[in-house]
Amino acid sequence: MLGARDLRQRYAGRTVVDVPSLDLEPGTVTALVGPNGSGKSTLLRLLAFVESPAEGTVLLRGRPVQTAAARRAARRDVTLVEQHPLLFAMTVAENLRYALTARRQRDPDAAGRILQALDRVGVADLANRAARQLSAGELQRVALARALLLRPRALLLDEPASAADRGARSALAEVLTALHKEEVTVCLASHQLEDAYRWSSRVLALADGRLAPVTPENLFRVTLPPGGGPRVVRAGPLEFLVVTETSGPATLAISPDDIIVSTAALQSSARNQFAGGVVAVSDDGHGHVRLVVDVGTPLVVRITPAALAELGISLGTRVHLSVKAMAVRVI
Amino acid sequence: MELFAEGLRRALALLLAGDPEVLSIAALSLRVAVVATGLACLVGVPIGFLVGTTQFWGRRAAITALNTMLAFPTVVVGVLVWGLLARSGPFGGAGLLYTWWAIVLAEVILAAPIAAALTAAAVQGVDPRVRRTALTLGAGPWLVHWTVAREARFALFGAVVVAFGRVIAEVGAAMIVGGNIRHQTRTLTTAVALSTSQGDFALAIALGLVLLALALTVNVLLHLFQGRGDAGRA
Repeated sequence: MLGARDLRQRYAGRTVVDVPSLDLEPGTVTALVGPNGSGKSTLLRLLAFVESPAEGTVLLRGRPVQTAAARRAARRDVTLVEQHPLLFAMTVAENLRYALTARRQRDPDAAGRILQALDRVGVADLANRAARQLSAGELQRVALARALLLRPRALLLDEPASAADRGARSALAEVLTALHKEEVTVCLASHQLEDAYRWSSRVLALADGRLAPVTPENLFRVTLPPGGGPRVVRAGPLEFLVVTETSGPATLAISPDDIIVSTAALQSSARNQFAGGVVAVSDDGHGHVRLVVDVGTPLVVRITPAALAELGISLGTRVHLSVKAMAVRVI
Repeated sequence: MELFAEGLRRALALLLAGDPEVLSIAALSLRVAVVATGLACLVGVPIGFLVGTTQFWGRRAAITALNTMLAFPTVVVGVLVWGLLARSGPFGGAGLLYTWWAIVLAEVILAAPIAAALTAAAVQGVDPRVRRTALTLGAGPWLVHWTVAREARFALFGAVVVAFGRVIAEVGAAMIVGGNIRHQTRTLTTAVALSTSQGDFALAIALGLVLLALALTVNVLLHLFQGRGDAGRA
């Protein structure tokens, strides 16, 4: 439905998004996780066609969207709800009506539709309130209702729960389930891994504008010692060398694509080396092989079928895993 | 102080008596100011919008040029327009020199950069999310501009008020291209200049007070209009 090829965005010469390939399928919820400043919001704005990329293209239904006119047409199918959404200085209902007018969706029952959209996120009682007097949580819910009202084919949500209370979270969960059934493509950005896993079918980690898939097995809750630069961090039975400027509680994420598998220990630049037996071999559904290796705790690795055959890996094979310190992402 | 008291007395007397000459001078001043402000905004506001909202090569230079034009000496504009409209000038055939249209033209040249520069500043000050939100909700270019303008309406309104102020108080250009001809191109400011040079300070002050009263009335009317436009929004 929505995708990107060789997508790059730069601000003042600095590359903030660098995504060689991304595909978001209908009826799926994809979560982008990453710390603040990792490029989540910029990527969402590019996918929402409200910002033009420095290089590369965003695809809609497999077709590249490159001209201003094409972007304008594409915006009819995609809607973005920003982390700090903006409502215009009118009432809540008028804000939703503006959205209908903007898309030229004339509907004799516009008022009914507006109330229904507000009701979907549990804020129908706010219809006649002045939008600029809402609390942050109410604002986020009204903005979500405004987006739902437009019935987009793809919905992009930037930190949808950042100001949410419990009611708002359960309303959001219901909405996401319904959107899944309606075959809507959803992509949400979050800096909370728990939220990402709760709401999405696929989690991608974003660091310095680059994407990497994340599997729950390759995530480790750690406490980073104070200081900057390379540090050794204990994560359960494993010890990782990590390069980061942050400290305190954090999550380490290792992309299954960033792990090198070998049958003998490597003399290499990779600072993190583990050994263990292969406990699972399966097809990942995208033409690659998913290995689970028990190195004291299970680690998931993705390799090509050719590499699997060449290394002669099967269940029980003892393998060595190498991970560069730079490939251990801190979220 | 005697002079000001006398001026105030004369101003009240002239206004209360409905002195036809003062009324016609005031009417002309108002007409010139309203037409020139309207035209200046018609030209300046879109330019300001363009400069304030779009990225193009030479944008910084355009902003600097606009800001420099704010300091244009009025007599220089007067001489420029005089040169254009004089019989020997490129537009001499139009026969506009020493008509109120010549004053309007000079005032538009003076006020349009004000409207443009203040509009640019106003729309640049609008939260960037306004444009993005309008876009992501599917608004076309006109609705996006309209939405941004509505968010900046107080500042845009300020641009109109300042442009009007410049035009109604301007004397140098009006004198040069209008010629201060009685019953034809004599505005309140040129009449004040004439009375002063003739030594009739009381009349000069009286006319000055009329000018202020006029400006006050127009500004109050604009404020009322703006207040009503805003009442519908919470």
